[in-house]
Amino acid sequence: MSIRNDIGQKWSSVKQRTVDKPWNPLTHLSHQGRSRGWNLLLNALLVLLLFVVIFPIFWMVSTALRPTDMIYNVPQTLLPQAFSVENFVNTFEGTNFPTYFTNSMILSVGVVGVTTSMSTLAGYGLTRIDIPHKKTFARIILFGYMFPQILLAIPMFIFWSRIGLINSHLGLILAVTATALPFGIWLMWKFFQNVPISLEESAQMAGASPFRAFYEIALPMAKPGVIAVAIFSYATAWGAYTIPRIIMPTSENWPLTVGIHMFTIQKQTLWGEVMAASVMMVIPAFIFVFALQKYLLEGFEVGGQM
Amino acid sequence: MSTINKHGSRARELRDEAFEFLSKKKVLAALTILPPMLLFTFVNLVPIVGVIGASFFSINAFSNEWQWIGVANFETLLSSDSFYDALSRSVVYAGGSVVIQVVFGTTLALLLNRSFKFVNIARTFAILPYLIPNAVIGFMALWMLNSQWGIVNQLAVQIGLIQGYVSFFGSQESAMLAAILTSSWKDSIFVTVMVLARLQAIPESFYEAAKMSGATAYQRFRDITLPNLKGVFFIVLLLRAVWMFNTFDYIWVLTQGGPRGATTTAPIYAYNVAFGTSRLGIAAAVSTVLFLVLLVAAVLYFRIFEPSEEVRAE
Repeated sequence: MSIRNDIGQKWSSVKQRTVDKPWNPLTHLSHQGRSRGWNLLLNALLVLLLFVVIFPIFWMVSTALRPTDMIYNVPQTLLPQAFSVENFVNTFEGTNFPTYFTNSMILSVGVVGVTTSMSTLAGYGLTRIDIPHKKTFARIILFGYMFPQILLAIPMFIFWSRIGLINSHLGLILAVTATALPFGIWLMWKFFQNVPISLEESAQMAGASPFRAFYEIALPMAKPGVIAVAIFSYATAWGAYTIPRIIMPTSENWPLTVGIHMFTIQKQTLWGEVMAASVMMVIPAFIFVFALQKYLLEGFEVGGQM
Repeated sequence: MSTINKHGSRARELRDEAFEFLSKKKVLAALTILPPMLLFTFVNLVPIVGVIGASFFSINAFSNEWQWIGVANFETLLSSDSFYDALSRSVVYAGGSVVIQVVFGTTLALLLNRSFKFVNIARTFAILPYLIPNAVIGFMALWMLNSQWGIVNQLAVQIGLIQGYVSFFGSQESAMLAAILTSSWKDSIFVTVMVLARLQAIPESFYEAAKMSGATAYQRFRDITLPNLKGVFFIVLLLRAVWMFNTFDYIWVLTQGGPRGATTTAPIYAYNVAFGTSRLGIAAAVSTVLFLVLLVAAVLYFRIFEPSEEVRAE
């Protein structure tokens, strides 16, 4: 409401200002010609920005798809002169790529499972049950959301090495969950707020147990939120680098983000293999998110921040 | 017959008791709120509180012996020039990348907020970088900016921007700038998504009313669009500044803090202290200082924006 009033007030002042506006080269042009030229300019700018956004991805794919010995041709051609899956074959044969890829999968599944279930429980509980100091809770959770990975990783290394949680899948899943959980709880809290409690109450009056009311009424209505949390925590886990780099001194359980360093041997990098591995890291993320795109945008809107 | 009935009613009784038990507020609270809070405490709060405690100890990384030394770690830290250098590099890195992200991201969001033929395809393409792991982005940048085979070098020479191939990450002058640009590519999209979501939420009727009262496109932008973006700008600036200040992954992949320390920001410094020289106590002290910086940002965040108002907490 206040925004509306604010805009209204701004408007009356705008109208007054437009009464005797000074000469302006833009308004001097004919209206049609001006807006067409303007649009053309904006479209050109958009194409330029999209080029900056797309070109690195294009170049990664284009490099990965050429034969290994043509990668170092100078000058480079934008499209491969010959197509080859050699780089992809090389990453699979005789390297730890399959192991690291599996580790990344384990990490992601674990983080998505823990974060989604815990956030959903918390969101439901925090909106359905009266507990004291909810506001302090909200603040602490949002503060937790601001914690950078480096600030969590160093203490985790110091303490977790004493309780045997470093170098393990379980430890890594818990550690990476730390970067996804606060936002997940926050998002589900806001989502369950929009699920009317009256529906569950009437279901309970009709004889349904509270658990059934949760499972059959509240949960389906909060599904977009659950999916948004799943996507967010997946993206976090799949891209995690700082935490595994620090709390995993030995390589057997490394995710691919850290494992990709294996293609750099004594300062020489096998660029074809690196780009092929990169493409394979990017594809699952693209597929996952495209399938669930509309939930992601919904999550952004409700979460308000990410 | 009677035993079955008896059995059935006993089961029903048990079930009713269980539901009654589960429906008690305290039990429900214990089952729903407690597990996430315990996990949150264990993975988020304990490490932070612990590292503040650890900063008052001298820690032997190998035998894990802790010895109380009071504020000696902070004295060492605050009297070393390299720490201040790292902090100021973090400021440069965070400041530079946040400015680029906000300018690029907002411009892209405004351009994507218009209606044109391929708007959905354009929006879909624009979001792609957000899904790429930071480590992969680091390697993509190293390859594109490579001093022998890099496509950026080739294109820049072709259009006459530079005379010959440049080692962007290899020279002290350009490494920081190259790191800032690399780190801004993906996170600009964060800004784009946030700003675009806000732009979409502005009612079309505002613009129509303005148009009818004769406002020009520029006036509509200045008096409707910009005021509506103020809030989102504030969150984006604050959150991105805090995160960029503490970014480790990009820089570690790109330069590992080099060449000759030119990109050693505070997080890289903390890593080197912890794992290069195994001085875990001092690393804990660095973390504590970084945490205090974060705390200031958080207080600002809660004072000015009060996001916790968004949840009902009666």
